[in-house]
Amino acid sequence: MSKNGPIALIYHTLFVIFMLAPIVVVCWVAFTPEGFLSFPTTDWSLRWFRAIARYPEFISAFWQSLGLGALSSALAVGFSVPAALAIARHRFRGREAFTALFMSPLMIPYIVLGIAFLRFFTEIGLSGSFTGLVLAHIIVVFPFALRLTLASAIGLDRSIEHAAVSLGASEWTVLKRVTLPLVVPGLASGWALAFINSFDEVTMTVFIAGPGTATLPVRMFLYIQDNIDPLVTSVSACVIAITVAGLVALDRAYGLERLLVGRGHDGR
Amino acid sequence: MAFLQLDALSKAFGPHKAVDGLTLGVEKGEFVSLLGPSGCGKTTTLQMIAGFVEPSGGAIRLEGKDLLAVKPAKRGLGIVFQSYALFPHMSVAENVAFGLEMQGVAKAERAKRVAETLGLVGLGAFAARFPRQLSGGQQQRVALARALVIRPQILLLDEPLSNLDAKLREEMQIELRQIQRTVGTTTILVTHDQAEAMALSDRIVVMNQGRAEQIAPPHEAYERPATPFVANFLGKTNLIDGKAVRPERIEFASSGLAGTVRTRIFQGNHWLYQVETASGLLTVIRQNAGGTMPEEGASVHLAWAAP
Ligand SMILES: Nc1ncnc2c1ncn2[C@@H]1O[C@H](COP(=O)(O)OP(=O)(O)OP(=O)(O)O)[C@@H](O)[C@H]1O
Ligand SMILES: [Mg+2]
Repeated sequence: MSKNGPIALIYHTLFVIFMLAPIVVVCWVAFTPEGFLSFPTTDWSLRWFRAIARYPEFISAFWQSLGLGALSSALAVGFSVPAALAIARHRFRGREAFTALFMSPLMIPYIVLGIAFLRFFTEIGLSGSFTGLVLAHIIVVFPFALRLTLASAIGLDRSIEHAAVSLGASEWTVLKRVTLPLVVPGLASGWALAFINSFDEVTMTVFIAGPGTATLPVRMFLYIQDNIDPLVTSVSACVIAITVAGLVALDRAYGLERLLVGRGHDGR
Repeated sequence: MAFLQLDALSKAFGPHKAVDGLTLGVEKGEFVSLLGPSGCGKTTTLQMIAGFVEPSGGAIRLEGKDLLAVKPAKRGLGIVFQSYALFPHMSVAENVAFGLEMQGVAKAERAKRVAETLGLVGLGAFAARFPRQLSGGQQQRVALARALVIRPQILLLDEPLSNLDAKLREEMQIELRQIQRTVGTTTILVTHDQAEAMALSDRIVVMNQGRAEQIAPPHEAYERPATPFVANFLGKTNLIDGKAVRPERIEFASSGLAGTVRTRIFQGNHWLYQVETASGLLTVIRQNAGGTMPEEGASVHLAWAAP
């Protein structure tokens, strides 16, 4: 590997600062003892972390977001596999149209989707329900899941599957023993990307979540409309801490690179 | 009827005929090569036998039975793909065991046969490795072991050696030939390398634009090419008075066709000459026996036995 020149080094440093600054600021402010967003704070206190305990709705909203993100991303990835295999391998009539349709949620402003879903769910009696949230989230995260499953389906060498067939494997066995294991890195990164999008989606969700089904970002959004205290920063700091802990644990257990890129860190 | 019989086998992709009426009989235990330039339909032919490409015409029979009616998974053929197509997420042993598992072979028997076959290809010590931890030649041998272990009726090899460097390729050719002799599996090899085809095969099928130009043992095809295409494809050739004369058949003599040496290239075990004559520029190959040879610019006479 070639060494970075000084200009590249400065550029990269600035870039990393630019990326990390908001996170650092949020975490910093979370430790203020003041009753407002004071930055930079010079005194330190866990006051606003203790305050979270007095708002159990933040904690239940966190679990709500986690469950919603995990479920809708898993379902979106599940649906994206057959779609990706079909788009990657077959030239059928309407192939471009299907791809465009699957990608279209990206193109529509989420506020429009939110209003449309609100109307639709009220019509069919799903408004404010968890089922409704899952359905809506599957649709908005589907393009992210599909993009990555599609990439790994296109990268799959057909002759590997042919080899399995020639050795006597049935279609189902080929899918289970060869195709799926080979696209798992794509599925994992597709799921991760979908999950992140579901977890922080607020524009659309604010319309369709009911009082009992509000997600964490929706709760925070509603909270800051009425309050100016730093509670949301301590909640954010907790989410950031949980994310970092989760990533570290995943990396220890499986190797993030292997899971998301499809290669181990030993460069094998 | 031959063991494997291709009858007027054809495949058209739209208006383009990739394989055009190929008829070929392969005997049991025979090693046959499909040889031809890029795009002449070799892979397509192999894929039709394997069942991954559906013929647009003709028939394929194995021991007299219609092979096209059999699903690819049930044909019992061993295939080595050009890209090896090993299962990257399985160890070498798991790769080789896969076919046996599909046949429902019991675990103990499976392990025994996997070890046996890995021994045959000289990879006994590599069973626990993953494909990405092996060199190209080793991967190729795993692919071969994976295809052989199911005791296929026919072994289909699609340019299995083309990714290897020259020295390794030569070693693998010898090994492949020995293994094929030991196991006695009927083998069809696809290659565009004429030396490889001639070194390995009992018979070669020289293909051009989807057709077989000649089907013959290598020696016969080389000495008595059926068409100018075959003559050219199987090595350097001179066209003298409408007859093909191989460069190594021409000698320097005291009398004969007069000419002047244009260029002389030393190639280790032989000399390669270009001689200007009344019949045009002729290529002459002479073994390097250590003696003095005509230099560039020298006047020489050329003689050869009528082919
Ligand atoms: N799926 C396909 N669709 C359209 N044309 C194809 C397809 N597969 C092969 N062909 C065409 O058929 C012809 C024969 O292809 P084939 O792959 O059999 O050649 P080959 O002899 O194996 O060549 P190479 O030595 O380059 O591998 C080529 O002209 C190729 O472009
Ligand atoms: Mg080919």
